[in-house]
Amino acid sequence: MTESSAGHVITVENLRHTYDGKHFALDGVTFDVAKGEVFGLLGKNGAGKTTLIKALTTLITPTSGELRILGLDPLHQGQEVRRRIGVVQQGESFDFATVEGNFNIYGVLWGVPRKLRLQRREELLKSFGLQEVRKQRAFDLSGGQKRRVQVAREMMHDMDILFLDEPTTGLDVIMRRELLDSIREQARRGLTVVFTTHNLEEADYVCDRVAVVDEGKFLAMDTVENLKRLYRGKKTVEVTLSGGDATAFYGSLKARLVGSEVKADGNSAVILTDDPKEALRRIVELSQTTGVQMDWLNVRKNTLEDVFIGSVTKTEGA
Amino acid sequence: MYRNVMVNVDPGTLIILIGLPAMYLVFFGFGFGAMIPIPGGTASYLTFLTPGIMSVQCLMAGTVGGSMLWADRRWGMLAQLLVGPFTRLQYLLGIMFTSLLFGLAGAFVMLVGAFLIIGSLQITVWGALTAFGVIALGSIFFGSLMLLIAGLVKSNNAYNSIQILILFVVNFASTVFYSFSAGLPLPIQVLFQVNPLTYVANAARGGFQGAMPPDAAWQLPLLVAETVVVLALATRVYVKSDISFV
Repeated sequence: MTESSAGHVITVENLRHTYDGKHFALDGVTFDVAKGEVFGLLGKNGAGKTTLIKALTTLITPTSGELRILGLDPLHQGQEVRRRIGVVQQGESFDFATVEGNFNIYGVLWGVPRKLRLQRREELLKSFGLQEVRKQRAFDLSGGQKRRVQVAREMMHDMDILFLDEPTTGLDVIMRRELLDSIREQARRGLTVVFTTHNLEEADYVCDRVAVVDEGKFLAMDTVENLKRLYRGKKTVEVTLSGGDATAFYGSLKARLVGSEVKADGNSAVILTDDPKEALRRIVELSQTTGVQMDWLNVRKNTLEDVFIGSVTKTEGA
Repeated sequence: MYRNVMVNVDPGTLIILIGLPAMYLVFFGFGFGAMIPIPGGTASYLTFLTPGIMSVQCLMAGTVGGSMLWADRRWGMLAQLLVGPFTRLQYLLGIMFTSLLFGLAGAFVMLVGAFLIIGSLQITVWGALTAFGVIALGSIFFGSLMLLIAGLVKSNNAYNSIQILILFVVNFASTVFYSFSAGLPLPIQVLFQVNPLTYVANAARGGFQGAMPPDAAWQLPLLVAETVVVLALATRVYVKSDISFV
């Protein structure tokens, strides 16, 4: 058996993990991922995305909860799970060898037959634009080149699920787009992809479903379109103050804008609201009564970023 | 093991593994030959030194094993390998076998080097098997010890300092370069007696001489027991606990 009866290749129920026995890096996470799905984990640094990837890839043993990967129990069938997954980790990981040496070693480690190994190596070096640096040591490459080597190297072997922990870090725009297109193409062929990022445009572009993660919890989880729909009726108002007591200003604004979400960060704030006219009126009114001047005031449509900020704001306000 | 050999066959590792013991053989062999008394008094110091320097290879190979693990932690490959199609034990044994291979290969190179320097060496097949067998056992002991240390220390500087200290003390407080003497200060006598490299060097020398020294009767079983314990501890560090990645 490789999938659950519902066709899920990943099933996670109430997963919790703590490193120090006090704080939970994962705190009751529950979700499923279907075969061929690109599932995004969206969250700021330290939200718990990487801990979740580590738990899913058998690198850490979760403190509690249920976990099934391809119908297997990672705790007791870890090696079988690892045979069928690929992982591109967030940090650098290279052998002291040339770029093509790293590909060769990886192919041998995964038991890829020699002929296929050499063929794949050449294809990947070409498609990831690494031919010119193939004889250079991996450690001597630029940040973007290193990232390309890490992602391309993982493609040396067959897999059912690919875990990508912020794979586009350091990539230029063109290479980033090509990588995302490649992920989509692989997913169309049946590969399941779990993808962490804090780049919202990427998640919007490549993911079928997205979970917004913060402080070890899933704050929202749905298709990108549905998440956006949640906020479709709303608009985003952006404000930047030129000085004065921003904390008091935004505190007063929150009290006056019942039903709107105000996310303040220093002198700036983002307001998600159903009634942008009312929000603007209140902001201008407050500016006049307090004497606090504004540098910037703008109204725009919602993006996935607003969904993310809205989800995080709700938790912080709770 | 393919990966470990490919990654570690670089000039730096080879200098540590082969160059340093080779220099010991040349400089100590010629420099101290006239000063160091040989038990029995008939053989040359170079002949006495050869099995000792071959034994040093198990310590050098052990340090290479520890360094492999440390480098894998430091450069992210440990985490990457542990999400690969292997168990943690297989990873550990891969390093262990690489240490063993390096230890035996290094000992063979020293044997050939000694033959070229001295011009002749006499050893029976059984004696050679004994010498290489005990060097293999020593490689596993020191490989396990250095893996254990590499797993426990938290910084590169700490690991390097400990490694240098171990190399110095274990090499020179052993019977590699000179025989045990009751005239040594008591603490150094104790170090000699508890030093596993002493057991390896004595047994390897016994293999060359065609007769095991009487102390081998307790030293070799003790070496086996110590190897089992240290190997178990090293395995426990990597298999039973969450590994910290640097």
